[in-house]
Amino acid sequence: MMERKERKPYWRHTKWQLLASVVPFLVLIIVMPLYAESLNGERFLGFPLGYFLSAHGIVVAAIFTVASFVNRQDAIDHWHGAHEDS
Amino acid sequence: MSVTSRTRFVNPRLGTYFGIFVSSLLGLLMLLLIFEELGTSDPLLRWAMLLGPIILYAAIGLSAPTREPIEFFAAGRRVPAGYTGLGIGVAAMGATGIVAVTGVFFLIGYDALCLLIGGLAGFVIMTVMLAPFFRKFGTFTVPSYLGRRFESRPVRLLAAGLMAVPALLMLAAELRVGAAAGGWLTGQGQGVVILLMVATFVVTAVLGGMRSLTWSGSAEAIAAVLALLVPVTIVAVMVTNFPLPQLTNGPLLRALMHSEAAQGLPIIDAPALQFALPGEGMAHIAKRFTAPFGAIGPMAFVVTILTVLTGVAASPWLIPRVTMTPGVYETRKSLGWATVYFGLIMLTCAAVAVYMRDFVMDIVKGGVPSSLPEWMQRLVDLGFVAIDSAAPLNYMSFAFDRDSVLLSLPVAAGLPAVFLYFAAAGIVAAALVGISATASAVGNVIAEDVVNGFSWEPLPRDGRLHVARIAMAGIAVAGGAVALVAPTDPLRLLLWSLALAGSTFFPVLVLSIWWKRMNDFGAIAGMASGFAVAVLTILAGEANILGIDGALASILGLPAGTLGAVLASIATPQPSRSVLELVREIRIPGGEVIYDREMRLLRLKSRERSS
Repeated sequence: MMERKERKPYWRHTKWQLLASVVPFLVLIIVMPLYAESLNGERFLGFPLGYFLSAHGIVVAAIFTVASFVNRQDAIDHWHGAHEDS
Repeated sequence: MSVTSRTRFVNPRLGTYFGIFVSSLLGLLMLLLIFEELGTSDPLLRWAMLLGPIILYAAIGLSAPTREPIEFFAAGRRVPAGYTGLGIGVAAMGATGIVAVTGVFFLIGYDALCLLIGGLAGFVIMTVMLAPFFRKFGTFTVPSYLGRRFESRPVRLLAAGLMAVPALLMLAAELRVGAAAGGWLTGQGQGVVILLMVATFVVTAVLGGMRSLTWSGSAEAIAAVLALLVPVTIVAVMVTNFPLPQLTNGPLLRALMHSEAAQGLPIIDAPALQFALPGEGMAHIAKRFTAPFGAIGPMAFVVTILTVLTGVAASPWLIPRVTMTPGVYETRKSLGWATVYFGLIMLTCAAVAVYMRDFVMDIVKGGVPSSLPEWMQRLVDLGFVAIDSAAPLNYMSFAFDRDSVLLSLPVAAGLPAVFLYFAAAGIVAAALVGISATASAVGNVIAEDVVNGFSWEPLPRDGRLHVARIAMAGIAVAGGAVALVAPTDPLRLLLWSLALAGSTFFPVLVLSIWWKRMNDFGAIAGMASGFAVAVLTILAGEANILGIDGALASILGLPAGTLGAVLASIATPQPSRSVLELVREIRIPGGEVIYDREMRLLRLKSRERSS
């Protein structure tokens, strides 16, 4: 069980992690499609780049965001002693 | 850490069981392929492909009975992350997401990506902002959570009433898509298939509640993903010699871009808020595949992303599933899996659309063909494509049934008919996943928060489970009736459902965790204003008053919900000390699950009273 005085630093740390995970992803999904058309002239794996980044790219970005969040938040939980009992 | 809790709780033979299921399913597929070659009658193959998997789901459901509330409502909190993620990933958009989205990709290409991006973003937001805290709280339904978080019965009852509306819309959409696929497969009326699906749901739900639904639902989700992947992968091998349809359709897409340009397919610049999503029924290819913002304007694209994001993240039929994982860490992981499965399904749908467009463009590429290829004639005979033969043949001569594009691919590639039936059975499986998710969520809410809405103490054990069983079955039957009498485009129903769920619950759920000052007045005002504004926007959109499509209702509903929640909370007194302490506790993953502790203390109290 975590100590009472750890609660505030833990929550501050968690809030920063929230911003670090969510903000870049939201910016990406809103800005990326706007540039799709101009990127479509380039090619990657045979795909028009704009389409590839908007479809496959965002899937990979989402999986990466969640995976890194799970990893980082777990580290934060352990650092502050807020993790679940084994 | 989670490693030990996993080994303590999770059934180590799950992999074996589902391995047996997958082998039986693929065995059935191969057996029917052999029978087809041997000349077995067509109706027999069709019925076998529909009923074979359904018998397996029912058998799995019936083999997991329970009489314990924690098993009945939360599958004993020992569903590993992978299975939970699979269930959530497939249930988020269900069969509508697979069937209609493939058609939309085919007809409007790039613009359909807003649904994919929205769903993915929904999972990201759900992982980071909502699900782990809901898991720590541990209640079986969203209204129970809100009621306890705000220590308010009105909040609980209001949430229960409001969550039923989007859930029933989603249920009706799933039943309609499933009935269309099953009806086509068996040649029966839609009523018969709806009855069959409702009966399957009741059989899988009634003995074991969420426990049996989780395991039969996992089987259904596996079947749905396989039925989507197998035919497309075979086509990918035929076309590109590589079994990765999601990654290898690039060169085809390049060729497609050239032939689209040669055919003079228009590049359209849609107005910012235009939302021309293809409806149910026949439609022409509207625009070039890779050109963005031709059917859906840039602003509408972003609003659709937000709608799907908030709807998926706060949907009251997905969130309770995370309480079935063994812990908070597993909850976060399960949503990672949901992201993976959802992304895989959607990229496969996009690949199907590219292959189909490529097949169609092949016909018209070399000028006017003297006669239609055999597969196109077959698609016309099946009613999947209509040809306007009056004019000279070009891409505009073909009108495609939006919800049959997925089924058209095996025909166009010349695969044996059994693959077509397999794809249709997969659609029914995905529909069953969606039906299970929504009907069980509403049934649980009725049993826990409506019948027993004025008491925090649950009903005695047997009564509690019986009420839940009756409620789930009743809701499934009611949903079936709605699907029969109110035929609306399933994709529209899905989008309305997401818009309503997002506007009503997203602001309140997020603020209930991240803003301590929020109180019960804020929750009531937030839910009521979000829901009311979203409903009005949908109605206005349908009546063409505002100039905003009804599916974009979140554009007004979300700000209304947020404003209502914030303003009402600020204008009314601070929440009590006990509520503040509760919020602080929700935020910390460690320690006992709050709901389980409450139940344990109640049991202790009643034991003291009786002794």
